[in-house]
Amino acid sequence: MRWLLLICLGLCLPAWSATDYSLKPRQIAEGTWLLEGSTENFAKANGGNIVNTAFIVTDAGVVVIDTGPSKRYGEALRQAIAATTDKPVIQVLLTHHHPDHVLGNQAFSDVPIGALPGTADLLRQQGDALAENMYRLVGDWMRGTEVVLPTQALSPGTLKVGDHSMRLLALAGHTGADLAILDETTGVLFAGDLVFYERALTTPNSPGLEVWLKDLGTLQALPWKQIVPGHGPVATDARPFLQMHDYLGWLDQLMRDGAARGDDMAEMIRSPIPERFAGISLSRYELIRSVSHLYPRYERAGMKRVDTHDPD
Amino acid sequence: MNWRAFGLLLGCLPLMASAVEPGKDPVPSVMWAFYHKQLLADAPFVFDERVRLLAPPFAEDARQVPLEIDARAFAGDVVRILAWAELNPLPRIVDFQPSERVLPWLSIRIRIEQATPLRAAVQTRDGLWHVGSTVIDAAGGGCTAPSVVRTQAGWEEHLGEVLGGRYPRGDSNRLRLQIAHPMDNGLVSGIPEFFIDQAQLFDADGKLLARLELFPAVSENPNLGFDIRGSGQTRLVLRDNSGNQFDAAIP
Repeated sequence: MRWLLLICLGLCLPAWSATDYSLKPRQIAEGTWLLEGSTENFAKANGGNIVNTAFIVTDAGVVVIDTGPSKRYGEALRQAIAATTDKPVIQVLLTHHHPDHVLGNQAFSDVPIGALPGTADLLRQQGDALAENMYRLVGDWMRGTEVVLPTQALSPGTLKVGDHSMRLLALAGHTGADLAILDETTGVLFAGDLVFYERALTTPNSPGLEVWLKDLGTLQALPWKQIVPGHGPVATDARPFLQMHDYLGWLDQLMRDGAARGDDMAEMIRSPIPERFAGISLSRYELIRSVSHLYPRYERAGMKRVDTHDPD
Repeated sequence: MNWRAFGLLLGCLPLMASAVEPGKDPVPSVMWAFYHKQLLADAPFVFDERVRLLAPPFAEDARQVPLEIDARAFAGDVVRILAWAELNPLPRIVDFQPSERVLPWLSIRIRIEQATPLRAAVQTRDGLWHVGSTVIDAAGGGCTAPSVVRTQAGWEEHLGEVLGGRYPRGDSNRLRLQIAHPMDNGLVSGIPEFFIDQAQLFDADGKLLARLELFPAVSENPNLGFDIRGSGQTRLVLRDNSGNQFDAAIP
């Protein structure tokens, strides 16, 4: 019987380790640690760890930027922080309401969770549906995960935490309520999902690509030394901005041209993707999504009222 | 040919038709036999990849799934096109009868309730159905989600408004139309069926170009796209199941 038990254990072990995020914080600046996710899509193999989260150790305590895709991720993040510093977590900042950035909130329910008011509204409206879809996409990693709403409304301006001074910017291009954080002490810009790098951007709540392009201009003009995108590798030069401008400009022009030709959505999603974007992860998948989100606005702008009313 | 031979040939026709080998179903389906009987009356058919049924691999918005039915490989020979979503609670999408001047091509948007095979059956003049197929993945809920139109204050005043455009493409013209209508399918609680069920497209001389029967699997604010040979103004006449008629003239 004992050998049977051993076999059982052997079978179970891979299952346990398969739902361990193994988060390894990497120091990218003075007191600043990054947890870099993959540039894949949500999948059962990655537990939704496709996102960049970070924490800043100040002399007053730790500031956490985004809490990750699940309760389990939030707990792993908290453990990783505790393994890095003795300082307590004193503040969470959420960049926006998307599930991969906020569903770890449960692990931080004892500290103020700050977000823009628009982010709190969007999470209140969409949170449960977003979480439900995450269960469908990544499965058991989500066990026990529930939406925890922000407890503190942030406004743009300077936030002083210990020896760090952070500039908070209220922008809108990605979701309508996007927080960007420039740590003026280190020059690290936490761009949230206003910047994707080497990973196709997502548009489900974007108010419009022109808004996003304007926000990119605002971010690029800040005195940053290093950019932490919401998804993709960290950069110390402007390449993420150049790629974002290029990609958003292409997407915008593609849909303008399509609307002018009278193409339907099913045709638009088959559009060729330029060779220069070949290295960007998930560009076809995200094109299909973006056409679904944004193309109806382009088509409507290109059509005219043609109904003939009876003058009754 | 003498009369006896002709009679013999006539006698053979149904036999020939029933002897058509349908080929292998390209998509996994548990419902094909049911729909073959229900919608095609067990008539002879072939699974035919020349009927291109184009949809995204997954539904980003299950209430507005773009669908393109392309039977241009049979141009000049098409009598009727039927489309349906096999696993929808209300599966039927459209019954499209294009005339000579309208290409056997249609774009439309639909609701889907779950991942499902999609079918477009194209009947050619010989009576044979050519069936194009694809599958779509979905988180689901598109048929039972509350109407977006009905959340907009004053939507009743916009009922039947039509946005349209004509886009020249070589020797044909693309027509795009979007009609303001909630297309209630009766599956959202407390709201009975209220949808556009008839559409007819006429040329400038009042000659019928295409006839469509629409079903409540069609998305709210329906989108329709046609490719028409030749130019000139067209007129679209729509009717819903409450008897409202809507007219549009596309210059």
